[in-house]
Amino acid sequence: MARVYNWQLGREMSYWYPESRPQRQFAAVFDTNKCIACQTCTLACKTTWTSGKGQEYMLWNNVESKPYGSYPLTYDVKLLNMLEGQRWSGSKYTGQTIFESAPAGERVLGWRPEEQDYSYPNVGEDDCAGQVDHGALVTIPHMNWFFYLARICNHCTYPACLASCPRGSIYKRQEDGIVLVDQSRCRGYQECVRGCPYKKVFFNPMTGTSEKCIACYPKMEQGIQPQCFVNCIGKIRMAGYLSKPEQARPDNPIDYLVHVKKLALPLFPQYGLEPNVYYIPPIHAPLSFNEQLFGPGAGAAMKMYRTAATDMDLAGLLCLFGSSEMVMSKWRRQGEMVSGLDDKGAELVKVPLREPVHVRPGVDPKLQIIRTNCP
Amino acid sequence: MLSEDAMKHTVRILAAFVLTVLLAVAGCRQAPAPVPDVEARPVTSVPSTPTDAAWNDTPEHVAKMIPQDLVEPRLMTPSTAEVRVRALTDGKTVAFRLEWVDDTKSDLPGPAQMIDACAVQLPQRLEKEPPAPQMGEATKPVEVTYWRADWQATVNGRGDTIRDLYPNAAIDHYPFNAQSLTKGSPEQAEMAKRYAPARALGNARSGPRTTPVEDLAANGPGTLTSVPSRGSTGMGVYGKTGWSVVIVRTWPDGVASGQRTNVAFAVWQGSQREAGARKMRTGWIPLFTRGTP
Repeated sequence: MARVYNWQLGREMSYWYPESRPQRQFAAVFDTNKCIACQTCTLACKTTWTSGKGQEYMLWNNVESKPYGSYPLTYDVKLLNMLEGQRWSGSKYTGQTIFESAPAGERVLGWRPEEQDYSYPNVGEDDCAGQVDHGALVTIPHMNWFFYLARICNHCTYPACLASCPRGSIYKRQEDGIVLVDQSRCRGYQECVRGCPYKKVFFNPMTGTSEKCIACYPKMEQGIQPQCFVNCIGKIRMAGYLSKPEQARPDNPIDYLVHVKKLALPLFPQYGLEPNVYYIPPIHAPLSFNEQLFGPGAGAAMKMYRTAATDMDLAGLLCLFGSSEMVMSKWRRQGEMVSGLDDKGAELVKVPLREPVHVRPGVDPKLQIIRTNCP
Repeated sequence: MLSEDAMKHTVRILAAFVLTVLLAVAGCRQAPAPVPDVEARPVTSVPSTPTDAAWNDTPEHVAKMIPQDLVEPRLMTPSTAEVRVRALTDGKTVAFRLEWVDDTKSDLPGPAQMIDACAVQLPQRLEKEPPAPQMGEATKPVEVTYWRADWQATVNGRGDTIRDLYPNAAIDHYPFNAQSLTKGSPEQAEMAKRYAPARALGNARSGPRTTPVEDLAANGPGTLTSVPSRGSTGMGVYGKTGWSVVIVRTWPDGVASGQRTNVAFAVWQGSQREAGARKMRTGWIPLFTRGTP
């Protein structure tokens, strides 16, 4: 194995291939606090890409209720149990990654879900973490918690699917870092399914090949965000490109949230893949749970999000989520207005930092009737 | 002391036992003794089925198998101990019959479902030093003919729908079944391809299959590539103890009568989660034929 640098772990690690970062890296930020699990993203992806024979069970995009939801079943806790001793020393990971703990004869520490594990795509939906006693009144903060975790392929810097494939059928595009399965070369060994800790590669029994999220690259090539982003009702997502930490540009929205503010965090960074979908952690979930999912930066991120409204820049940037279907490579705030810009700096969209507030009196003075909130 | 009657009874039982044994031995065909090489006996026409009588008098080579343990992912737990091989040639083609013990038939593809399979490997060129037995090497390619149980099931008549794999599957709608598309029309076929990218790209792996075998070439681990068909055919039958598979391919170029080349075999047991590099294999075994048919 080669030695590569993983900035999410703050250290070098072992990987099957030498470090080879793309010219730019597709990346995304998901705000878990805004997701309502409407599954519109799931359907947008499903109808676009996976409505063929053999793709019936595939969900390149899924939304699961945490803590109990998982697709395929127990994809997360199963590997966490296998990967013992996930220790952090500050922001440096001192435990083992799935590459470093690969058993003899294997390329990564992995496991292969059984057919039944794909049979419950929304198990645990809306189940909260504990029992609410009969007769209890709902209080703020809530006595129990759950949140929605939307997931797509992380288009990792060090993909385990790519490392697992003995045929080199999986590649990472130099131009944008999107990870693809070469459908003309794949022979369906399912090693990638076994290797990906996020279980975002799926075997198609009709074609005999494995398939996965393609980050809607035909759209991204035209500067348009993927289907699951532009169809998001809750406007929780933003797609773009992420720089290396030392090259972070504050005017790049993804760089700003990930590198500058450190508000958006990778999912299970301890696996060692340097995943490129970043999550603003749910502020009502326990810190220990968030740290297990998102690493040691979870506490600071939760604290920052709680006071985001007082940070004009941060609040402004969060207003740009879902405001345009175009990829916003740059952004700027001018007073109360925030703009999303393309690669060349041309303005794509402009939104107000605060929506104007209109207060309707409870009584219509002209008609002398009481208004209700119903339409 | 036994009484006279008891003595007579015992003698009758012993006589019947001896007679039964003698009859049993006389009625059994003596299995050919295993031979150290794979000898392809000449015939006028090679058999296409594993049950053809032509196999009965053909010498059998019992090839010991070892796990693929040179490149990752390796097979860490040995499964198929040996493969029994017989070969016949008509001078242009060679038929191999591979038989191995497998107590589980695995021919249904799906997530985490692996497929029973076997393969025959030959050096692409006759050289003094054969290629590395494990998929050849950069300057010394190998030819592989590969048979799979799920392809055999398709050839035997299993349909090309998800309900043929999962009879109770619920399917709402496929885009290529839209009412605006005439059933069976080229437009419908074109639309269906859009939702089967591997088929659209002509991946030979992606069926639907008209033959249970595929011709391939390799020049090292991880390089296995489908090649234009060499006209290979095959047929596999699952019996009480396991698989019996015939693979027919061209007789290796430049190998004359009496001259030796090499052959190697691989077996995958789906129930043991074997696929790709996770397989049981043999080393090179001498292959030759005496005379021409």
